[in-house]
Amino acid sequence: MSDLVQTTPVSSAVQRPRPKLVKMVSFGLGEKPTVAISVATGLAVAALWWLVAELDLVPNLFLPRPGEVLTQVGMLYYDGYAGASLSEHIFASLFRIVLAASIAIAAGIPLGLLMGLNRWAKGILDTPIEFYWPLPPLSYLPLMIIWLGIGETSKITLLVLAMFAPVCLSAQAGVRSLPIERVNAARSLGARPLELFIDIVLPSALPEILTGVRIAVGIGWGTLVAAELIASTRGIGFMIMSAAQFLATDVVFVGIGIIAICAFAFSAAIRFIEAVLVPWKGKL
Amino acid sequence: MLKVDHASVFFAARDGRPVHALDRVSFEIPESGFVVALGASGCGKSTLLNAIAGFLPLSDGAIILDGRPVRGPGADRGVVFQKDALLPWETVIDNVALGLKFAGVSKSERRARAHELLRLVGLGEFAKALPYELSGGMRQRVGIARALATEPDILLMDEPFGALDSLTREQMQELLISIWDRTAKRIFFITHSIEEALFLGTQVLVMSPRPGRVVARFDLDFVRRFAATGDARSIKSSPEFASLREEIRAILHSAEDLRSAA
Repeated sequence: MSDLVQTTPVSSAVQRPRPKLVKMVSFGLGEKPTVAISVATGLAVAALWWLVAELDLVPNLFLPRPGEVLTQVGMLYYDGYAGASLSEHIFASLFRIVLAASIAIAAGIPLGLLMGLNRWAKGILDTPIEFYWPLPPLSYLPLMIIWLGIGETSKITLLVLAMFAPVCLSAQAGVRSLPIERVNAARSLGARPLELFIDIVLPSALPEILTGVRIAVGIGWGTLVAAELIASTRGIGFMIMSAAQFLATDVVFVGIGIIAICAFAFSAAIRFIEAVLVPWKGKL
Repeated sequence: MLKVDHASVFFAARDGRPVHALDRVSFEIPESGFVVALGASGCGKSTLLNAIAGFLPLSDGAIILDGRPVRGPGADRGVVFQKDALLPWETVIDNVALGLKFAGVSKSERRARAHELLRLVGLGEFAKALPYELSGGMRQRVGIARALATEPDILLMDEPFGALDSLTREQMQELLISIWDRTAKRIFFITHSIEEALFLGTQVLVMSPRPGRVVARFDLDFVRRFAATGDARSIKSSPEFASLREEIRAILHSAEDLRSAA
């Protein structure tokens, strides 16, 4: 018997070659990193832009050179645009987005949770929300102007309406995905309805809510340019639309770049919040 | 004393016809009794547990805990779920302390009490971990500690070790017996493992499906013997244990045969 249990000592002094590391064959993307490819693609697009503009393949009016756009950033920074400095334009847009997002989140989360929990709330609120939310914001923009005038109110309202639906719907989805064991466990530990809501339902729905907020902010940036069509004198969206009328393509490029940077920063911020608030997402 | 008296449950099938899930089940769990419901899936054992926990009303019959009829869930019955049902955003210690939080116990006091329970289930060092960082067996220990925290009159356990590997399962069984022995809690335990039922129960209810009912009962003392000696191997390999195992297996199989013949 004893010869059967003989094994090679693990710590042998013999220098063994480094073992070949293997992994289960994955399907689809798996864990392969994509950042380098994305960065390379970005650089390639920039190089293509530079090449096309430099060789005058497209009239300069349609496609300004990268250098011109950079110069324009400096000029806009020092001189402003249409009577307001660049930072005032950026601030005006950020103010609208942040205010509208706050209102949409403050209303969308409780209403969405309520719709996920209560038959009456679901029945009543479903009608207006399901009716309006598939509409493109531009289609009801004229109504906003007629009803609310051309001031900040109509712009903020348009943005709130666009951002409310995804937050509200995701909060509902969050309640629906709540496992019944979790509710039953809390009940058998003596949770009262309010505690059930605050300690179980709300945190359970948080991952979905945060996904909804991220989608909402994306839609918000998309709607911003439309909102700033309404008799604005400030805002990045206004700057883009106004510059387009004067065929100042380089200013349009700068505006698009600023929106892209802002939107990316917002998205990154929400991802950071997700990482802090719901590190357990998808793990249990 | 927990008294289940002619408990019957009918569910509505998809087409609206009644499905007889539980048929006039009666039994009692005395002080420090450990009752195990044993049966294949569909025999109504989970239905029975859900009714005792108050998650499911009865169609007929009554469940009475210490003189009061059961109406809805309550902290007097601690439940350990098959899936651990821990809160993934709370640390292990705050999960254990959850029931005490609902009971209005101050934070420092409930943390102290939860720490005590974590030590009881051997997880004293994992207080600050999040549930997803623990193994399945450790999560079930947290579930047990959480259910014990509110000092319930009875512990209801719904196949708590069903998802664990057999080695972890045996460790958990022995841990549960030592907790039961120390705290003298009444336990109602569900399993589909004959060996687990025999090893743990002071009484085993053998259940059979369609309709879910108790077809045999056994009063046992293996669990007390283990609590006294701590020798699981000699108990599980004893001829007495083996013959009961075969007897119960025969009962379960004949119930299965009757069903397929019908």
